[in-house]
Amino acid sequence: MKLYDQAQNLVTRVGIIQVFAFTLLVILGVRLYYLQVVKGEYYSEKAENQRVRFIPIPAPRGAIFDRNGKILVDSRPTYNVTLSNEPIKKIDVSDRVDDYAQGLQVDRQFVVERINLIKKQPEFETLVIKENATIQDIVWVESHELEYPELRVEIQPQRFYPLGKVLAHVLGYVGEISPKQLEKPEVKEKGFRAGDIIGKGGIEQYYDEYLRGKPGYRKVLVDSRGRVQDELEVVPPQAGQDLISTIDLDLQNAAEEQLANSTTKRGTIISMDPNNGEILVLASAPSFDPNAFATRSSTPEGRKEINQYSTNEERPLINRAIQGRYHPGSTWKIPESVAGLQQGAITVKNSNLVCGGGIQIGTKHTRCMGSHGSPPLGYAITKSCDGYYYRLALKMGIAGLIQMIEDFEYDKRSGIDLPNEKISQTPKSWMPSVVKNEGKWSDIRTVYASIGQDTVVVTPISMLRAISSISVQGKMFVPHLLKEFKGIGAIGEEGEPNYVPARASFGFARPEPKLIEMTPEQNKLVLDGMWGVVNGGGTGAGIRIQNFEIAGKTGTAQNSELNSGGAKDHAWFVSFAPAYKPEIAVIVLIENSGFGGSHAAPAAKGVYNAYLSKNRPDLLDGQQLAKK
Amino acid sequence: MAAILEKRNFRDFDWLVAFLAVGIVSFGVWQIYNAQPAQTYWQKQIIGLFIALAALIAIAATDYRRVIDAAPIFYAVGLVLLILVLTPMGVKINGQQAWLKIPLIGQFQPSEFVKIPVALMLAKYFGSRKTGTLRLKEVLVGIGILAAPLALIMLEPDAGQALTYFPILAVILFLSAVKIRYVVLTIVAGLIFLPLVYWVGVETGKIKNYQQERIKVILDPENADPRGFGYHTVQSMITVGKGGLTGIKGDTDTSQSVLKFLPEPHTDFIFAVTAENTGFIGCISLLLAYALLLSRLIAGARQAPDRAGMLVIMAIAGELACQIFMNIGMVLGFLPVIGVPLPLMSAGLSAVLATFIAIGFVISVKMRRFVN
Repeated sequence: MKLYDQAQNLVTRVGIIQVFAFTLLVILGVRLYYLQVVKGEYYSEKAENQRVRFIPIPAPRGAIFDRNGKILVDSRPTYNVTLSNEPIKKIDVSDRVDDYAQGLQVDRQFVVERINLIKKQPEFETLVIKENATIQDIVWVESHELEYPELRVEIQPQRFYPLGKVLAHVLGYVGEISPKQLEKPEVKEKGFRAGDIIGKGGIEQYYDEYLRGKPGYRKVLVDSRGRVQDELEVVPPQAGQDLISTIDLDLQNAAEEQLANSTTKRGTIISMDPNNGEILVLASAPSFDPNAFATRSSTPEGRKEINQYSTNEERPLINRAIQGRYHPGSTWKIPESVAGLQQGAITVKNSNLVCGGGIQIGTKHTRCMGSHGSPPLGYAITKSCDGYYYRLALKMGIAGLIQMIEDFEYDKRSGIDLPNEKISQTPKSWMPSVVKNEGKWSDIRTVYASIGQDTVVVTPISMLRAISSISVQGKMFVPHLLKEFKGIGAIGEEGEPNYVPARASFGFARPEPKLIEMTPEQNKLVLDGMWGVVNGGGTGAGIRIQNFEIAGKTGTAQNSELNSGGAKDHAWFVSFAPAYKPEIAVIVLIENSGFGGSHAAPAAKGVYNAYLSKNRPDLLDGQQLAKK
Repeated sequence: MAAILEKRNFRDFDWLVAFLAVGIVSFGVWQIYNAQPAQTYWQKQIIGLFIALAALIAIAATDYRRVIDAAPIFYAVGLVLLILVLTPMGVKINGQQAWLKIPLIGQFQPSEFVKIPVALMLAKYFGSRKTGTLRLKEVLVGIGILAAPLALIMLEPDAGQALTYFPILAVILFLSAVKIRYVVLTIVAGLIFLPLVYWVGVETGKIKNYQQERIKVILDPENADPRGFGYHTVQSMITVGKGGLTGIKGDTDTSQSVLKFLPEPHTDFIFAVTAENTGFIGCISLLLAYALLLSRLIAGARQAPDRAGMLVIMAIAGELACQIFMNIGMVLGFLPVIGVPLPLMSAGLSAVLATFIAIGFVISVKMRRFVN
């Protein structure tokens, strides 16, 4: 064909089309070079990121036992419904809130909070939306698999508190780390993420680091819908260490029973081995159920329960043993007696002071409950003579009282292995503001302070520590709940990238006890007085046990300032037994119940009886044996 | 027929073109296997290749002039098929009624084949004219020939396939002495009107939301919703980029298509699979093969014994070039996602058969270049 003959430069036009076609191919080639050679690494990484997932394997938390191996807390596998953010990251799911809430029987507000929180997380994170899923929940999730791919059912270890309200303040509870906590740099550093379970309160919080395991993970290959295609790597979790506590569950139960049977059902009982500081009992009433926080916090009922705990006027979440502060009343006289002897205000040979039925300071007369003449120390303790101590304190002076407060460390925390312990308030801490407001520290305040009123409010644990020290020649042990952490094996071999070293067993690192200096004679004088309280016709005579001599001191603390309507006094009883060779110390405080000898001392006896029937059944007196 | 072949024209049979076509399809079979190793698409494609090859040889052996003479009949048959697609005989897949199911023959896509009668019809009409500039009436007739099948395809609706018809008319008009100033005018008008039409379409709601999204993702792929309508484009770019210089050697278990990140890997996005598996080197080789094929076709056009034959070859070459560009441009993320298969590579008997028939026709023209 003679293309050349044709009009309009046909040859050129064919050529133009050819050039045009090649230009298109060159454009493609350039673009290919850009995507594959220039940005190849970038896309390769993107592809890797979207197909590889790390699915955490939660580590079981260490269990907690009492000193005899009875289980106090453990973890058991439960089905949780989790919410993952990947399928809903880019879409508005506000219209699903009601469906979730109804389908899973969870609180609507909780669902809203969860969705808000998960949307702030990086991709592929999950949060629990329903703990302890029931069969109905699981069926609901599975039947809505296509509609709501963000919901999944997963088996996760769940903290369980079989004792319920018993020991709740000691054990604490676990819960999800709060967004506020997560913002702290020291928390972030440890690699915590939203949705992580941490200890809150009690041993769970104090020893969280050891109880918590190290989660493992599964590195998996997923397809575009997030379905697992292959497992690339599994790093097993390292479980947390089991904790053996110093608690004796049998004694604890006895103490809880005493509190439950008390007049106001409010108060605390603590028991300790005075020879080493091991806490045997720590009960605080009213109490709460840790399971409400650990397993029911997503349900409307659980949230109501938790809300009720924090608004309840009786404040069940407060651990009265370490966070309550009470006027010690006459129990204060015991450390004061030791201090009087130490400081030379009285001596072993001449410890007599006038009772006088009270004392006149300026225009104010402060009376004693009785008229005790001019008793020696022992008698003053046994009969709880206020007049004696008014004069003792005035003799020691406020400086002497402050010296005693420092010696017995009422100005410090006891150091017990529990979080959020409060410090007692004493004339030492009040002095600056009293002097500022009143110009000086007046004698009347010293007189009030001598019987544990006015400027003196102490935590029961600080009182227990001081009293116990007197039973062991002044050795102030740090009270503690940890007996032993069990060791746990390593994960993997050393040198491997995912190697997790073994964790060794360890006990409580007991500091050397602080020593209250006193002569054996001085010590004996105070012990004799305390012996007399129970065994010598004193204020605690009602709880005498024939073959197990209790040394104690009653206290009846006025607290009218708390409640102008004239709330009843707090009843105290501080004690240890046997008096001269102590095995166990018990202190009791019952709020607003009245006289210490009649409301607190019997509760202490209940604990001693439990101790005897367990350890020394031969010593139980006939009456107790008959009861058994 | 075989006798004719044997007798005189075997030496003129364009072996290279046939070899390139078969080679690209074979390469495509490998990629289809990479895309869907668990499925039977690659086996079907092999069967398709043999059917298509038989068709190619048959068409090559036929005198193209007789075929062009019969163009109106083919054209009419094509229109009937496109109408039948819209009747209950048609099969709807992914919202498009583009397939026809006929007993014994099976299921096929008429819009793939009708390109050939359209090209023949246009070549017949414009090939018979003598010299001189194109008149308006002739242009209108050309548009009319194109408009009828196009309207039917838009009813399916298959906008992507419809787009591939335009180059056929464009090439034929361009080679039929349309004045260059009109060509320039059309291009300028297109550049102005295309955004305007888009804007009007968006405002009136004619261009649907997902179509808008597909345009937006091209303009700004990083900020597009990777889970929404931008998904295809984003995943396609990841797949291509991942291939790097030499491709993912052997690690097929983690490929984008096996893990289903890449949609339609064996059809519309087969080039992404190629890019992932063979890398830049493999892709450039494929583009070179296409370039060689196109230049052989155009060389054949230059030697065509008559005007109609030249027009048919150029129309087919132009259409192939545009379709390759549209498909790969989509895969490389700079053209919007429209369902156009990659010629000779994408799985699908209709597409391969139609392309082989077109190439067979080109060979037929070349074989008869001295028989004037």
